[in-house]
Amino acid sequence: MPTVIFQLPDGTERKVTAASGTVLMQAAVSNGVQGIVAECGGNASCATCHVYVDADRSELVGGPNDVEDEMLDFTAAERRPTSRLSCQVELSDALDGLVVHVPEEQV
Amino acid sequence: MSPLTTAAPGAPVVDLDLADLRRDPYPAYAELRRTAPLAWVPSVGRHLLTRYEDIVHAEKLPEVFSSREEGSLLLRTVGRNMLREDDPDHRRLRSAAEPPTRPRQVRDLWAGAFERTAHELLDKIADRGEADLIADFAEPLVAANLALVLGLRDASAEDIAGWSRAMMAGNSNYADDPDIWLRAEQATGAIEDAVARAAEAARREPDGSVISSMVHAAEPVELTEIQNNVKVIIGGGVNEPRDVFGVGAWALLNRPEVLDRVLAEPSSWKRVFEETARWVSPIGMYPRQLTQDYEIAGLTLPAGSRVALVIASGNRDESVFERADEFDLDRPHRPHLAFGGGPHFCMGAWVARHEVSAIAWPLIFDRLKGLRLADGATASDSDSAAGRMDGWVFRGPTSLNVTWHAAQAA
Repeated sequence: MPTVIFQLPDGTERKVTAASGTVLMQAAVSNGVQGIVAECGGNASCATCHVYVDADRSELVGGPNDVEDEMLDFTAAERRPTSRLSCQVELSDALDGLVVHVPEEQV
Repeated sequence: MSPLTTAAPGAPVVDLDLADLRRDPYPAYAELRRTAPLAWVPSVGRHLLTRYEDIVHAEKLPEVFSSREEGSLLLRTVGRNMLREDDPDHRRLRSAAEPPTRPRQVRDLWAGAFERTAHELLDKIADRGEADLIADFAEPLVAANLALVLGLRDASAEDIAGWSRAMMAGNSNYADDPDIWLRAEQATGAIEDAVARAAEAARREPDGSVISSMVHAAEPVELTEIQNNVKVIIGGGVNEPRDVFGVGAWALLNRPEVLDRVLAEPSSWKRVFEETARWVSPIGMYPRQLTQDYEIAGLTLPAGSRVALVIASGNRDESVFERADEFDLDRPHRPHLAFGGGPHFCMGAWVARHEVSAIAWPLIFDRLKGLRLADGATASDSDSAAGRMDGWVFRGPTSLNVTWHAAQAA
């Protein structure tokens, strides 16, 4: 059961534990993490579950798929090299302790 | 699961007059949120769910709040379609239709043509100095754009707009008017013919359109499925961007100081779009049917219960949006519900955002100098000649009569 740390725009952080195989967005939404809106419920069509993956684990998390890559060009907050849609990031034990930053805006 | 057409045990029964709802549903919604956030409304034949958090909760549980509503007006109007399907059928159809509506496709494939059409429409009226911005500009613009994105090359903007009106009347025909059903049937028949021709052409020569995308989808889609889903898209694809255009233009014309700020800061058109869609949601509600007993808003609804998720009400929920009845570009960012949520999140969202906030609004204020409402109506003057808001299932101004300095129009 990997634990993920969401760093929120106001400086606070939320620690969430979820089963391997859960997507990051679902882990956030199930635990009421503010700032992960996820309007489309995980279908990569709304770009409102944007996160910045912490640089030191970014390579392990990997890059976006094609559809996600397109959506990331249209996020409300700026796109950065470590931007991902959290609905497309599957958690695994290897990602235990992952830190992600939630942007100021999603819509 | 057969639909239950009665109130759930213990559910408050609230009589709402449909004509009152059409004129202005917001006072009734405010009362429901306060006193009966889940209420059986006999005239609608459903439980109305009116608080933001409850609606969001329901949207995120499609396996409980099913889109497969039996006996729905939409099913009667257009036949089986993705809006009234759950996954995996919904996902198959959505995946087939969606690629041409994604934001990069909108920007790279469609935006240039959208802009040309907008200029052509403005060329026709610029010298007149007066127009109804709904009938003379917004509706033909979004209808022409929709024909393009769908791949209906033989259909005119008038065809698309007329079909949309006829089907939307059917979809909200709670009074069961036979004339409305007849017009809807004529429209859907015409769409079936047009789609069959377009699909045949796209089979030979893919063109990047929605019909072409469905014809060439990885998972096969039958012609009937393409036809029915095009009907649904024509229904929503006209009135929603048209209405959000109308509401937003109306809001700004009534607030010159806000308009000046927006014109000085073009990046804020996006905020105008989102706040407009929150303030007066073009789609006011959509139905769901419960697959199992489920407790929500303090009541246990039996399996088969029919529920309306009243997103127009959720978007005015004071517990989420302070001074929710006001149009306020500066309000703290909270996600609105106007595009729906979950797997049915509006497929046309990116098309609408672009055609309205990047093209239609900036162009009218740029080209029609001195633009103002025809009779100086205020926002509260909702029955004025300048424009009248109408509807609750769908809502927007039926007209938007304006004047400008014709001699200066570019």
